[in-house]
Amino acid sequence: MSSSHGTVKALQMLRRLPRIKLNNLISIPGSTKKSQRGRGIHGGKDHGWGTKGPKHHNRHVPAGYEGGEMTPYFLRYPVQKWAKERYDISYVPLTLQSLQLMVDTGRLDVSVPIDVTQLYNTGLLRIDSRLEHGGVMLEEKGMDCFCTPMNLEVQYASEAAIAAVEKAGGTITTAYYDPYSLTAALKPVEFFKKGQVIPRRFLPPQRHIEYYSDPRNRGYLADPALIEEQRLLLSQKYGYVLPDLEKSLMKELLFQRKDPRQVFYGLEPGWIVNLADKVILKPTDPQLKEYYSS
Amino acid sequence: MSLIGLSCRIFQIGKQSKIKWPCSHLSSCLQQRLCSTTSEIPKLQHGTSLPTIIDFPSFQTRSIQAPREALVETLYDEDSVGLVSLNPEVFGQLPLLHVMHDNIKWQTQYKHINYNHALSRHECRGGGRKPWPQKGLGKARHGSRRSPLFLKGGVAHGPRRYTTKFYMLAYGNRVLGLTSALSAKFAQDDLKVVRSLDVASSAPEPLLELLEQRLWGPSVLFVHTDDIMPEKICKATETIGHINLMPVYGLNVYSMLKHDTLVLTVPALRLLEERLMHAIYNTAGAHLHSPTQLL
Repeated sequence: MSSSHGTVKALQMLRRLPRIKLNNLISIPGSTKKSQRGRGIHGGKDHGWGTKGPKHHNRHVPAGYEGGEMTPYFLRYPVQKWAKERYDISYVPLTLQSLQLMVDTGRLDVSVPIDVTQLYNTGLLRIDSRLEHGGVMLEEKGMDCFCTPMNLEVQYASEAAIAAVEKAGGTITTAYYDPYSLTAALKPVEFFKKGQVIPRRFLPPQRHIEYYSDPRNRGYLADPALIEEQRLLLSQKYGYVLPDLEKSLMKELLFQRKDPRQVFYGLEPGWIVNLADKVILKPTDPQLKEYYSS
Repeated sequence: MSLIGLSCRIFQIGKQSKIKWPCSHLSSCLQQRLCSTTSEIPKLQHGTSLPTIIDFPSFQTRSIQAPREALVETLYDEDSVGLVSLNPEVFGQLPLLHVMHDNIKWQTQYKHINYNHALSRHECRGGGRKPWPQKGLGKARHGSRRSPLFLKGGVAHGPRRYTTKFYMLAYGNRVLGLTSALSAKFAQDDLKVVRSLDVASSAPEPLLELLEQRLWGPSVLFVHTDDIMPEKICKATETIGHINLMPVYGLNVYSMLKHDTLVLTVPALRLLEERLMHAIYNTAGAHLHSPTQLL
Protein backbone atom coordinates (compact mmCIF):
# COMPACT_ATOMS: atom_id res chain seq x y z
CA MET A 1 0.00 0.00 0.00
CA SER A 2 2.61 2.45 1.01
CA SER A 3 4.91 3.44 -1.74
CA SER A 4 7.11 5.99 -0.05
CA HIS A 5 10.81 6.31 -0.12
CA GLY A 6 10.85 5.12 3.49
CA THR A 7 9.71 1.67 2.47
CA VAL A 8 12.57 1.30 0.03
CA LYS A 9 14.99 2.58 2.64
CA ALA A 10 13.72 0.19 5.28
CA LEU A 11 14.00 -2.76 2.92
CA GLN A 12 17.53 -1.72 2.00
CA MET A 13 18.46 -1.55 5.68
CA LEU A 14 17.07 -5.02 6.28
CA ARG A 15 19.53 -6.46 3.77
CA ARG A 16 22.41 -5.61 6.05
CA LEU A 17 20.72 -6.43 9.33
CA PRO A 18 20.55 -9.87 10.94
CA ARG A 19 17.80 -12.19 9.82
CA ILE A 20 14.45 -11.48 11.46
CA LYS A 21 13.59 -14.52 13.55
CA LEU A 22 11.27 -15.42 16.37
CA ASN A 23 13.96 -14.86 18.96
CA ASN A 24 15.02 -11.35 17.94
CA LEU A 25 11.63 -9.89 17.08
CA ILE A 26 10.32 -7.41 19.63
CA SER A 27 7.40 -5.07 19.74
CA ILE A 28 7.73 -1.32 20.10
CA PRO A 29 9.40 -0.73 23.50
CA GLY A 30 6.90 0.52 26.06
CA SER A 31 3.89 -0.45 23.97
CA THR A 32 2.78 -3.14 26.39
CA LYS A 33 2.34 -2.66 30.10
CA LYS A 34 2.41 -5.58 32.45
CA SER A 35 -0.46 -5.43 34.87
CA GLN A 36 0.29 -6.71 38.30
CA ARG A 37 -1.74 -6.73 41.44
CA GLY A 38 -0.39 -4.40 44.09
CA ARG A 39 1.34 -6.22 46.95
CA GLY A 40 2.12 -5.40 50.55
CA ILE A 41 0.24 -4.04 53.50
CA HIS A 42 -0.62 -0.62 52.05
CA GLY A 43 0.55 -0.79 48.44
CA GLY A 44 -2.09 -3.24 47.37
CA LYS A 45 -5.01 -2.22 49.46
CA ASP A 46 -7.93 -3.21 47.27
CA HIS A 47 -6.06 -4.82 44.38
CA GLY A 48 -8.03 -2.91 41.82
CA TRP A 49 -11.40 -4.11 43.07
CA GLY A 50 -12.56 -0.82 44.60
CA THR A 51 -13.84 -0.26 48.10
CA LYS A 52 -16.93 -2.11 49.27
CA GLY A 53 -19.85 -3.37 47.25
CA PRO A 54 -20.58 -6.52 45.27
CA LYS A 55 -17.54 -6.18 43.02
CA HIS A 56 -15.21 -5.72 45.96
CA HIS A 57 -16.49 -8.91 47.53
CA ASN A 58 -16.51 -10.78 44.21
CA ARG A 59 -20.26 -11.03 44.53
CA HIS A 60 -21.53 -10.20 41.07
CA VAL A 61 -25.21 -9.83 40.34
CA PRO A 62 -26.47 -12.82 38.37
CA ALA A 63 -27.32 -12.19 34.74
CA GLY A 64 -31.01 -11.48 34.32
CA TYR A 65 -31.58 -10.60 38.00
CA GLU A 66 -34.07 -7.77 38.25
CA GLY A 67 -34.07 -7.21 41.99
CA GLY A 68 -35.73 -9.36 44.59
CA GLU A 69 -39.30 -8.26 43.87
CA MET A 70 -39.55 -9.30 40.23
CA THR A 71 -39.39 -12.70 38.62
CA PRO A 72 -36.67 -12.49 35.99
CA TYR A 73 -37.83 -11.96 32.45
CA PHE A 74 -36.46 -15.28 31.28
CA LEU A 75 -38.58 -17.11 33.82
CA ARG A 76 -41.69 -15.02 33.24
CA TYR A 77 -41.96 -15.60 29.49
CA PRO A 78 -41.10 -18.71 27.50
CA VAL A 79 -38.90 -18.60 24.43
CA GLN A 80 -40.64 -19.83 21.35
CA LYS A 81 -38.80 -21.98 18.89
CA TRP A 82 -39.15 -19.67 15.90
CA ALA A 83 -37.92 -16.64 17.86
CA LYS A 84 -34.57 -15.39 16.72
CA GLU A 85 -34.48 -13.02 19.67
CA ARG A 86 -36.23 -13.04 23.00
CA TYR A 87 -38.23 -9.95 22.05
CA ASP A 88 -39.47 -11.48 18.80
CA ILE A 89 -43.04 -11.81 17.60
CA SER A 90 -45.00 -14.88 18.64
CA TYR A 91 -47.65 -16.78 16.74
CA VAL A 92 -51.04 -17.99 17.92
CA PRO A 93 -51.12 -21.77 17.62
CA LEU A 94 -53.74 -23.36 15.39
CA THR A 95 -53.88 -27.13 15.14
CA LEU A 96 -55.04 -29.01 12.07
CA GLN A 97 -57.61 -30.66 14.30
CA SER A 98 -59.22 -27.38 15.25
CA LEU A 99 -58.97 -26.17 11.64
CA GLN A 100 -60.87 -29.26 10.51
CA LEU A 101 -63.40 -28.67 13.27
CA MET A 102 -63.90 -25.08 12.08
CA VAL A 103 -64.68 -26.39 8.60
CA ASP A 104 -66.96 -29.12 9.89
CA THR A 105 -68.94 -26.76 12.10
CA GLY A 106 -69.37 -24.25 9.33
CA ARG A 107 -67.19 -21.54 10.77
CA LEU A 108 -64.85 -21.51 7.79
CA ASP A 109 -65.85 -21.22 4.16
CA VAL A 110 -63.29 -23.12 2.11
CA SER A 111 -64.66 -21.86 -1.20
CA VAL A 112 -62.60 -18.71 -0.71
CA PRO A 113 -58.86 -18.47 0.06
CA ILE A 114 -58.33 -18.70 3.80
CA ASP A 115 -56.02 -16.15 5.32
CA VAL A 116 -55.62 -14.57 8.73
CA THR A 117 -58.81 -12.51 8.21
CA GLN A 118 -60.92 -15.62 7.71
CA LEU A 119 -59.32 -17.43 10.60
CA TYR A 120 -59.76 -14.52 12.99
CA ASN A 121 -63.38 -14.07 12.02
CA THR A 122 -64.19 -17.58 13.24
CA GLY A 123 -63.99 -15.99 16.67
CA LEU A 124 -61.95 -18.86 18.04
CA LEU A 125 -58.52 -17.27 17.87
CA ARG A 126 -57.25 -14.45 20.00
CA ILE A 127 -54.77 -12.57 17.88
CA ASP A 128 -53.62 -9.17 19.04
CA SER A 129 -50.78 -7.35 17.39
CA ARG A 130 -50.36 -5.29 20.56
CA LEU A 131 -49.31 -8.51 22.31
CA GLU A 132 -46.64 -8.90 19.63
CA HIS A 133 -48.63 -11.60 17.88
CA GLY A 134 -47.41 -12.02 14.34
CA GLY A 135 -50.37 -14.11 13.18
CA VAL A 136 -51.21 -17.81 13.13
CA MET A 137 -48.95 -20.80 13.48
CA LEU A 138 -50.17 -24.10 12.03
CA GLU A 139 -49.36 -27.16 14.12
CA GLU A 140 -49.48 -30.78 13.07
CA LYS A 141 -51.77 -32.05 15.83
CA GLY A 142 -54.66 -33.89 14.22
CA MET A 143 -52.90 -34.26 10.89
CA ASP A 144 -54.40 -37.71 10.34
CA CYS A 145 -57.97 -36.45 10.41
CA PHE A 146 -57.36 -33.42 8.21
CA CYS A 147 -59.06 -33.98 4.85
CA THR A 148 -60.28 -30.64 3.49
CA PRO A 149 -58.57 -29.19 0.42
CA MET A 150 -58.17 -25.47 0.89
CA ASN A 151 -56.01 -22.51 -0.08
CA LEU A 152 -54.47 -21.64 3.25
CA GLU A 153 -52.23 -18.76 4.21
CA VAL A 154 -50.63 -18.76 7.66
CA GLN A 155 -47.64 -17.06 9.17
CA TYR A 156 -45.72 -20.11 10.34
CA ALA A 157 -46.21 -23.81 9.65
CA SER A 158 -44.43 -26.96 10.71
CA GLU A 159 -43.23 -29.37 8.07
CA ALA A 160 -45.74 -32.08 9.02
CA ALA A 161 -48.59 -29.58 8.90
CA ILE A 162 -47.55 -28.53 5.39
CA ALA A 163 -47.49 -32.19 4.38
CA ALA A 164 -50.99 -32.77 5.80
CA VAL A 165 -52.49 -29.80 3.96
CA GLU A 166 -50.87 -30.81 0.68
CA LYS A 167 -51.84 -34.43 1.08
CA ALA A 168 -55.47 -33.35 1.38
CA GLY A 169 -55.16 -31.63 -2.00
CA GLY A 170 -54.77 -28.07 -0.80
CA THR A 171 -52.08 -25.46 -0.94
CA ILE A 172 -50.41 -23.58 1.87
CA THR A 173 -48.38 -20.37 1.97
CA THR A 174 -46.53 -18.74 4.83
CA ALA A 175 -46.68 -14.97 4.67
CA TYR A 176 -45.51 -12.16 6.88
CA TYR A 177 -47.75 -9.35 8.11
CA ASP A 178 -46.29 -6.32 9.80
CA PRO A 179 -48.21 -5.23 12.96
CA TYR A 180 -50.15 -2.43 11.27
CA SER A 181 -51.17 -4.59 8.29
CA LEU A 182 -52.15 -7.36 10.67
CA THR A 183 -54.39 -5.01 12.62
CA ALA A 184 -56.08 -4.06 9.36
CA ALA A 185 -56.35 -7.68 8.22
CA LEU A 186 -57.85 -8.90 11.50
CA LYS A 187 -60.72 -6.41 11.65
CA PRO A 188 -61.27 -5.02 8.16
CA VAL A 189 -64.63 -3.42 8.85
CA GLU A 190 -63.37 -1.47 11.84
CA PHE A 191 -60.37 -0.45 9.81
CA PHE A 192 -62.45 0.79 6.88
CA LYS A 193 -64.77 2.69 9.21
CA LYS A 194 -61.81 4.73 10.41
CA GLY A 195 -61.35 5.93 6.85
CA GLN A 196 -57.73 4.91 6.73
CA VAL A 197 -55.78 3.99 3.63
CA ILE A 198 -55.18 0.29 3.04
CA PRO A 199 -51.51 -0.07 3.99
CA ARG A 200 -48.73 -1.42 1.88
CA ARG A 201 -47.67 -4.65 3.57
CA PHE A 202 -44.05 -4.45 4.66
CA LEU A 203 -41.50 -7.03 3.72
CA PRO A 204 -40.36 -9.21 6.64
CA PRO A 205 -37.53 -7.99 8.86
CA GLN A 206 -34.05 -9.19 8.06
CA ARG A 207 -34.11 -12.09 10.54
CA HIS A 208 -37.31 -13.52 9.00
CA ILE A 209 -36.42 -13.01 5.33
CA GLU A 210 -34.69 -16.37 5.20
CA TYR A 211 -37.77 -18.19 6.47
CA TYR A 212 -40.21 -16.56 4.07
CA SER A 213 -38.01 -17.00 1.01
CA ASP A 214 -37.45 -20.70 1.64
CA PRO A 215 -39.51 -22.98 -0.65
CA ARG A 216 -39.47 -25.69 2.02
CA ASN A 217 -41.53 -23.40 4.25
CA ARG A 218 -43.76 -22.48 1.28
CA GLY A 219 -42.71 -18.91 1.85
CA TYR A 220 -44.54 -16.24 -0.10
CA LEU A 221 -41.24 -14.79 -1.34
CA ALA A 222 -39.96 -18.13 -2.65
CA ASP A 223 -39.77 -19.13 -6.30
CA PRO A 224 -43.00 -21.00 -7.31
CA ALA A 225 -41.03 -23.45 -9.42
CA LEU A 226 -38.90 -24.42 -6.43
CA ILE A 227 -42.03 -24.74 -4.28
CA GLU A 228 -43.44 -27.21 -6.81
CA GLU A 229 -40.22 -29.21 -6.53
CA GLN A 230 -40.35 -29.18 -2.74
CA ARG A 231 -43.98 -30.31 -2.77
CA LEU A 232 -42.91 -33.46 -4.57
CA LEU A 233 -39.96 -34.02 -2.27
CA LEU A 234 -42.13 -33.62 0.83
CA SER A 235 -44.67 -36.11 -0.51
CA GLN A 236 -41.88 -38.61 -1.04
CA LYS A 237 -40.57 -37.97 2.46
CA TYR A 238 -43.95 -38.50 4.13
CA GLY A 239 -45.01 -41.23 1.71
CA TYR A 240 -48.22 -40.03 0.07
CA VAL A 241 -49.30 -39.50 -3.50
CA LEU A 242 -49.27 -35.82 -4.32
CA PRO A 243 -52.68 -34.77 -5.72
CA ASP A 244 -52.44 -33.19 -9.15
CA LEU A 245 -53.60 -29.60 -8.73
CA GLU A 246 -53.91 -29.09 -12.46
CA LYS A 247 -56.76 -31.60 -12.60
CA SER A 248 -58.39 -30.35 -9.40
CA LEU A 249 -61.87 -28.85 -9.60
CA MET A 250 -60.73 -26.06 -7.27
CA LYS A 251 -57.76 -25.18 -9.43
CA GLU A 252 -58.59 -21.48 -9.71
CA LEU A 253 -59.08 -21.18 -5.98
CA LEU A 254 -55.96 -23.07 -5.05
CA PHE A 255 -53.64 -20.97 -7.19
CA GLN A 256 -54.88 -17.63 -5.89
CA ARG A 257 -52.08 -15.72 -4.21
CA LYS A 258 -51.81 -12.29 -2.69
CA ASP A 259 -49.18 -9.88 -3.85
CA PRO A 260 -46.39 -9.58 -1.24
CA ARG A 261 -47.53 -5.98 -0.65
CA GLN A 262 -51.25 -6.78 -0.59
CA VAL A 263 -53.30 -7.10 2.60
CA PHE A 264 -56.77 -8.02 1.29
CA TYR A 265 -57.78 -10.10 -1.67
CA GLY A 266 -59.22 -7.85 -4.37
CA LEU A 267 -58.13 -4.62 -2.71
CA GLU A 268 -54.83 -2.95 -3.44
CA PRO A 269 -52.73 -0.89 -1.07
CA GLY A 270 -53.38 2.82 -1.30
CA TRP A 271 -57.14 2.46 -1.76
CA ILE A 272 -59.72 3.80 0.70
CA VAL A 273 -62.94 1.86 1.23
CA ASN A 274 -65.92 4.01 2.05
CA LEU A 275 -68.47 1.68 3.56
CA ALA A 276 -71.16 4.34 4.06
CA ASP A 277 -71.31 5.36 0.39
CA LYS A 278 -70.12 1.96 -0.83
CA VAL A 279 -67.34 3.59 -2.83
CA ILE A 280 -63.68 2.76 -3.29
CA LEU A 281 -61.33 5.72 -3.62
CA LYS A 282 -58.16 5.13 -5.59
CA PRO A 283 -55.09 7.38 -5.66
CA THR A 284 -54.47 9.39 -8.78
CA ASP A 285 -51.26 11.16 -7.79
CA PRO A 286 -48.34 9.50 -9.67
CA GLN A 287 -46.10 9.75 -6.60
CA LEU A 288 -48.67 7.95 -4.45
CA LYS A 289 -49.17 5.35 -7.17
CA GLU A 290 -45.48 4.71 -7.33
CA TYR A 291 -45.26 4.39 -3.54
CA TYR A 292 -48.08 1.88 -3.33
CA SER A 293 -47.05 -0.14 -6.37
CA SER A 294 -45.51 -3.51 -5.64
CA MET B 1 5.90 -10.68 -28.84
CA SER B 2 8.52 -13.34 -28.53
CA LEU B 3 10.13 -14.21 -25.23
CA ILE B 4 13.48 -12.87 -26.31
CA GLY B 5 11.89 -9.63 -27.42
CA LEU B 6 10.10 -9.29 -24.11
CA SER B 7 13.26 -9.87 -22.14
CA CYS B 8 15.09 -7.32 -24.25
CA ARG B 9 12.39 -4.76 -23.66
CA ILE B 10 12.48 -5.23 -19.92
CA PHE B 11 16.20 -5.06 -19.59
CA GLN B 12 16.42 -2.34 -22.21
CA ILE B 13 19.36 -3.88 -24.01
CA GLY B 14 20.03 -5.18 -27.47
CA LYS B 15 20.10 -8.75 -28.69
CA GLN B 16 22.32 -10.60 -26.29
CA SER B 17 20.54 -13.90 -26.17
CA LYS B 18 23.68 -15.99 -26.55
CA ILE B 19 25.44 -14.40 -23.59
CA LYS B 20 25.95 -16.46 -20.41
CA TRP B 21 24.93 -14.91 -17.13
CA PRO B 22 26.29 -16.42 -13.95
CA CYS B 23 24.10 -16.50 -10.88
CA SER B 24 26.22 -14.32 -8.66
CA HIS B 25 26.26 -11.53 -11.18
CA LEU B 26 22.53 -11.72 -11.64
CA SER B 27 21.85 -11.34 -7.95
CA SER B 28 23.99 -8.23 -7.82
CA CYS B 29 22.12 -6.88 -10.81
CA LEU B 30 18.84 -7.59 -9.11
CA GLN B 31 20.05 -5.87 -6.03
CA GLN B 32 20.96 -2.88 -8.09
CA ARG B 33 17.53 -2.88 -9.70
CA LEU B 34 15.81 -3.08 -6.36
CA CYS B 35 17.66 -0.11 -5.05
CA SER B 36 17.70 2.00 -8.20
CA THR B 37 15.14 3.38 -10.57
CA THR B 38 14.03 1.37 -13.56
CA SER B 39 15.64 3.75 -16.03
CA GLU B 40 19.11 2.52 -15.15
CA ILE B 41 20.41 -0.21 -17.38
CA PRO B 42 22.15 -3.08 -15.59
CA LYS B 43 25.65 -3.62 -16.81
CA LEU B 44 26.09 -7.00 -18.39
CA GLN B 45 29.37 -8.67 -18.99
CA HIS B 46 30.06 -9.77 -22.46
CA GLY B 47 29.50 -13.45 -22.86
CA THR B 48 26.57 -13.79 -20.46
CA SER B 49 23.06 -14.86 -21.44
CA LEU B 50 19.69 -13.81 -20.16
CA PRO B 51 17.57 -16.42 -18.46
CA THR B 52 14.15 -17.11 -19.87
CA ILE B 53 11.48 -14.93 -18.36
CA ILE B 54 8.71 -17.23 -17.33
CA ASP B 55 6.20 -14.98 -15.65
CA PHE B 56 5.84 -11.22 -15.92
CA PRO B 57 2.16 -10.37 -15.47
CA SER B 58 0.89 -6.81 -15.21
CA PHE B 59 -0.15 -6.09 -11.64
CA GLN B 60 -3.08 -3.86 -10.82
CA THR B 61 -1.77 -2.06 -7.78
CA ARG B 62 -1.93 1.35 -6.23
CA SER B 63 1.80 1.17 -5.62
CA ILE B 64 4.02 3.34 -7.77
CA GLN B 65 6.95 1.06 -7.15
CA ALA B 66 8.24 -1.19 -9.87
CA PRO B 67 7.52 -4.90 -9.45
CA ARG B 68 10.19 -6.88 -7.64
CA GLU B 69 11.99 -9.59 -9.47
CA ALA B 70 13.08 -12.99 -8.25
CA LEU B 71 15.18 -15.67 -9.79
CA VAL B 72 13.37 -18.94 -10.52
CA GLU B 73 15.33 -22.04 -9.70
CA THR B 74 14.70 -25.74 -9.68
CA LEU B 75 15.42 -28.37 -7.04
CA TYR B 76 16.87 -30.88 -9.52
CA ASP B 77 19.18 -28.69 -11.56
CA GLU B 78 21.84 -26.14 -10.78
CA ASP B 79 20.91 -23.74 -13.53
CA SER B 80 18.31 -21.13 -12.88
CA VAL B 81 15.27 -21.20 -15.10
CA GLY B 82 14.26 -17.60 -15.33
CA LEU B 83 12.74 -14.61 -13.62
CA VAL B 84 9.39 -13.84 -12.11
CA SER B 85 8.02 -10.50 -11.10
CA LEU B 86 6.62 -10.07 -7.61
CA ASN B 87 3.81 -7.78 -6.64
CA PRO B 88 5.30 -4.77 -4.80
CA GLU B 89 2.26 -4.52 -2.54
CA VAL B 90 2.91 -8.00 -1.19
CA PHE B 91 6.69 -8.33 -1.42
CA GLY B 92 7.77 -4.69 -1.25
CA GLN B 93 5.74 -3.65 1.76
CA LEU B 94 7.08 -1.63 4.67
CA PRO B 95 8.25 -4.35 7.10
CA LEU B 96 6.37 -3.45 10.26
CA LEU B 97 8.14 -5.38 12.98
CA HIS B 98 5.61 -4.60 15.67
CA VAL B 99 2.76 -5.91 13.53
CA MET B 100 4.72 -9.11 12.91
CA HIS B 101 5.27 -9.33 16.64
CA ASP B 102 1.56 -8.85 17.26
CA ASN B 103 0.82 -11.66 14.83
CA ILE B 104 3.21 -14.02 16.53
CA LYS B 105 1.87 -13.13 19.95
CA TRP B 106 -1.65 -13.77 18.71
CA GLN B 107 -0.71 -17.07 17.07
CA THR B 108 0.90 -18.36 20.23
CA GLN B 109 -1.73 -17.06 22.62
CA TYR B 110 -5.11 -17.59 21.01
CA LYS B 111 -4.97 -21.36 21.43
CA HIS B 112 -3.55 -21.26 24.93
CA ILE B 113 -5.73 -22.34 27.82
CA ASN B 114 -4.42 -21.95 31.33
CA TYR B 115 -5.29 -25.01 33.38
CA ASN B 116 -3.65 -23.76 36.58
CA HIS B 117 -6.03 -23.90 39.47
CA ALA B 118 -5.43 -23.00 43.08
CA LEU B 119 -7.85 -24.00 45.80
CA SER B 120 -9.41 -21.19 47.75
CA ARG B 121 -9.88 -21.40 51.53
CA HIS B 122 -13.42 -22.67 51.02
CA GLU B 123 -12.40 -25.45 48.66
CA CYS B 124 -9.65 -26.82 50.89
CA ARG B 125 -10.37 -29.85 52.98
CA GLY B 126 -11.19 -29.14 56.62
CA GLY B 127 -10.77 -25.82 58.28
CA GLY B 128 -14.29 -25.60 59.59
CA ARG B 129 -13.30 -25.57 63.25
CA LYS B 130 -12.02 -22.46 64.98
CA PRO B 131 -8.41 -23.38 65.78
CA TRP B 132 -8.33 -21.67 69.15
CA PRO B 133 -10.62 -19.44 71.18
CA GLN B 134 -10.98 -15.83 70.18
CA LYS B 135 -9.73 -14.44 73.46
CA GLY B 136 -7.56 -15.34 76.40
CA LEU B 137 -4.55 -17.02 74.80
CA GLY B 138 -2.59 -13.93 73.72
CA LYS B 139 -2.46 -15.29 70.19
CA ALA B 140 -3.77 -13.75 67.03
CA ARG B 141 -7.43 -14.41 66.36
CA HIS B 142 -8.17 -16.97 63.63
CA GLY B 143 -11.31 -18.66 62.41
CA SER B 144 -9.94 -21.36 60.12
CA ARG B 145 -6.85 -23.49 59.58
CA ARG B 146 -7.22 -23.02 55.81
CA SER B 147 -6.96 -19.25 55.81
CA PRO B 148 -4.41 -17.90 53.28
CA LEU B 149 -2.22 -16.89 56.22
CA PHE B 150 -1.72 -20.51 57.28
CA LEU B 151 0.64 -23.08 55.90
CA LYS B 152 -1.33 -25.48 53.65
CA GLY B 153 -4.09 -22.89 53.58
CA GLY B 154 -6.08 -21.77 50.58
CA VAL B 155 -4.80 -19.27 48.06
CA ALA B 156 -6.27 -15.79 47.85
CA HIS B 157 -6.71 -14.47 44.29
CA GLY B 158 -5.01 -17.56 42.88
CA PRO B 159 -5.28 -18.80 39.30
CA ARG B 160 -8.63 -20.33 38.48
CA ARG B 161 -9.08 -23.16 36.04
CA TYR B 162 -9.82 -22.74 32.33
CA THR B 163 -8.82 -19.21 31.63
CA THR B 164 -8.43 -18.77 27.92
CA LYS B 165 -6.12 -16.35 26.21
CA PHE B 166 -8.23 -16.41 23.07
CA TYR B 167 -8.59 -13.20 21.16
CA MET B 168 -8.78 -12.25 17.52
CA LEU B 169 -6.23 -10.00 15.95
CA ALA B 170 -7.82 -7.39 13.69
CA TYR B 171 -8.25 -8.52 10.10
CA GLY B 172 -6.11 -5.72 8.71
CA ASN B 173 -3.28 -6.53 11.08
CA ARG B 174 -3.33 -10.16 10.04
CA VAL B 175 -3.00 -9.15 6.39
CA LEU B 176 -0.35 -6.57 7.20
CA GLY B 177 1.61 -9.12 9.21
CA LEU B 178 1.73 -11.49 6.26
CA THR B 179 2.81 -8.84 3.75
CA SER B 180 5.38 -7.47 6.20
CA ALA B 181 6.86 -10.90 6.82
CA LEU B 182 6.99 -11.72 3.11
CA SER B 183 8.61 -8.36 2.34
CA ALA B 184 11.15 -8.78 5.11
CA LYS B 185 11.97 -12.29 3.94
CA PHE B 186 12.40 -11.08 0.39
CA ALA B 187 14.49 -8.09 1.41
CA GLN B 188 16.78 -10.32 3.43
CA ASP B 189 17.19 -12.69 0.49
CA ASP B 190 15.49 -15.48 2.39
CA LEU B 191 12.64 -15.89 -0.05
CA LYS B 192 13.37 -18.19 -2.95
CA VAL B 193 11.21 -19.10 -5.90
CA VAL B 194 11.29 -22.50 -7.55
CA ARG B 195 9.47 -23.71 -10.62
CA SER B 196 8.14 -26.81 -8.90
CA LEU B 197 8.86 -29.07 -5.95
CA ASP B 198 10.25 -31.85 -8.12
CA VAL B 199 13.49 -33.27 -6.75
CA ALA B 200 15.91 -35.71 -8.29
CA SER B 201 15.56 -38.47 -5.72
CA SER B 202 13.42 -39.35 -2.77
CA ALA B 203 16.43 -39.77 -0.46
CA PRO B 204 17.03 -37.00 2.07
CA GLU B 205 20.81 -36.68 1.58
CA PRO B 206 20.84 -35.12 -1.93
CA LEU B 207 18.25 -32.56 -0.88
CA LEU B 208 20.25 -31.60 2.22
CA GLU B 209 23.36 -31.33 0.08
CA LEU B 210 21.56 -29.11 -2.43
CA LEU B 211 20.26 -26.80 0.29
CA GLU B 212 23.69 -26.56 1.89
CA GLN B 213 25.29 -25.78 -1.44
CA ARG B 214 22.86 -22.97 -2.11
CA LEU B 215 23.18 -21.61 1.46
CA TRP B 216 19.49 -22.14 2.11
CA GLY B 217 18.43 -22.91 5.59
CA PRO B 218 19.32 -24.82 7.68
CA SER B 219 15.57 -24.66 8.29
CA VAL B 220 13.58 -24.40 5.07
CA LEU B 221 9.87 -24.07 4.47
CA PHE B 222 8.58 -25.19 1.09
CA VAL B 223 5.22 -23.75 0.09
CA HIS B 224 3.00 -25.24 -2.59
CA THR B 225 -0.50 -24.38 -3.80
CA ASP B 226 -2.26 -27.44 -2.44
CA ASP B 227 -1.67 -29.80 0.41
CA ILE B 228 -1.03 -32.60 -2.06
CA MET B 229 2.71 -32.37 -2.74
CA PRO B 230 4.96 -34.28 -5.14
CA GLU B 231 5.76 -37.71 -3.79
CA LYS B 232 9.54 -37.49 -3.96
CA ILE B 233 9.93 -34.36 -1.85
CA CYS B 234 7.47 -35.74 0.70
CA LYS B 235 9.60 -38.84 1.11
CA ALA B 236 12.84 -36.85 1.12
CA THR B 237 11.71 -34.47 3.86
CA GLU B 238 9.84 -37.01 5.92
CA THR B 239 12.69 -37.71 8.29
CA ILE B 240 14.15 -34.20 8.36
CA GLY B 241 12.63 -32.12 11.13
CA HIS B 242 13.86 -28.74 10.03
CA ILE B 243 12.65 -28.95 6.42
CA ASN B 244 8.91 -28.63 6.14
CA LEU B 245 6.21 -28.51 3.50
CA MET B 246 3.17 -26.31 3.69
CA PRO B 247 0.23 -25.34 1.44
CA VAL B 248 -0.52 -21.69 0.70
CA TYR B 249 -3.59 -21.69 2.90
CA GLY B 250 -1.46 -22.65 5.89
CA LEU B 251 1.22 -20.02 5.41
CA ASN B 252 1.53 -17.83 8.47
CA VAL B 253 3.85 -15.31 10.05
CA TYR B 254 5.09 -17.65 12.75
CA SER B 255 6.19 -20.35 10.32
CA MET B 256 7.82 -17.80 8.04
CA LEU B 257 9.96 -16.39 10.82
CA LYS B 258 10.62 -19.79 12.39
CA HIS B 259 12.27 -21.05 9.20
CA ASP B 260 15.38 -19.45 7.83
CA THR B 261 14.45 -19.75 4.19
CA LEU B 262 11.04 -19.64 2.57
CA VAL B 263 10.73 -21.40 -0.77
CA LEU B 264 7.69 -20.71 -2.92
CA THR B 265 6.72 -22.41 -6.12
CA VAL B 266 5.62 -20.10 -8.93
CA PRO B 267 1.93 -21.17 -8.83
CA ALA B 268 1.99 -20.83 -5.04
CA LEU B 269 3.49 -17.38 -5.40
CA ARG B 270 0.73 -16.26 -7.75
CA LEU B 271 -1.98 -17.75 -5.55
CA LEU B 272 -0.53 -16.05 -2.52
CA GLU B 273 -0.43 -12.72 -4.33
CA GLU B 274 -4.01 -13.15 -5.45
CA ARG B 275 -5.26 -14.01 -1.97
CA LEU B 276 -3.39 -11.21 -0.29
CA MET B 277 -4.38 -8.59 -2.86
CA HIS B 278 -7.97 -9.67 -2.38
CA ALA B 279 -7.54 -9.31 1.36
CA ILE B 280 -5.98 -5.87 1.03
CA TYR B 281 -8.59 -4.48 -1.33
CA ASN B 282 -11.65 -6.33 -0.07
CA THR B 283 -13.48 -3.58 1.76
CA ALA B 284 -16.25 -5.98 2.79
CA GLY B 285 -13.90 -7.93 5.04
CA ALA B 286 -11.90 -4.99 6.33
CA HIS B 287 -13.87 -4.63 9.52
CA LEU B 288 -14.39 -8.33 10.21
CA HIS B 289 -12.91 -9.67 13.40
CA SER B 290 -14.85 -12.89 13.56
CA PRO B 291 -12.93 -16.14 14.10
CA THR B 292 -14.25 -17.59 10.88
CA GLN B 293 -12.75 -14.84 8.78
CA LEU B 294 -9.23 -16.15 8.70
CA LEU B 295 -8.19 -14.65 5.40
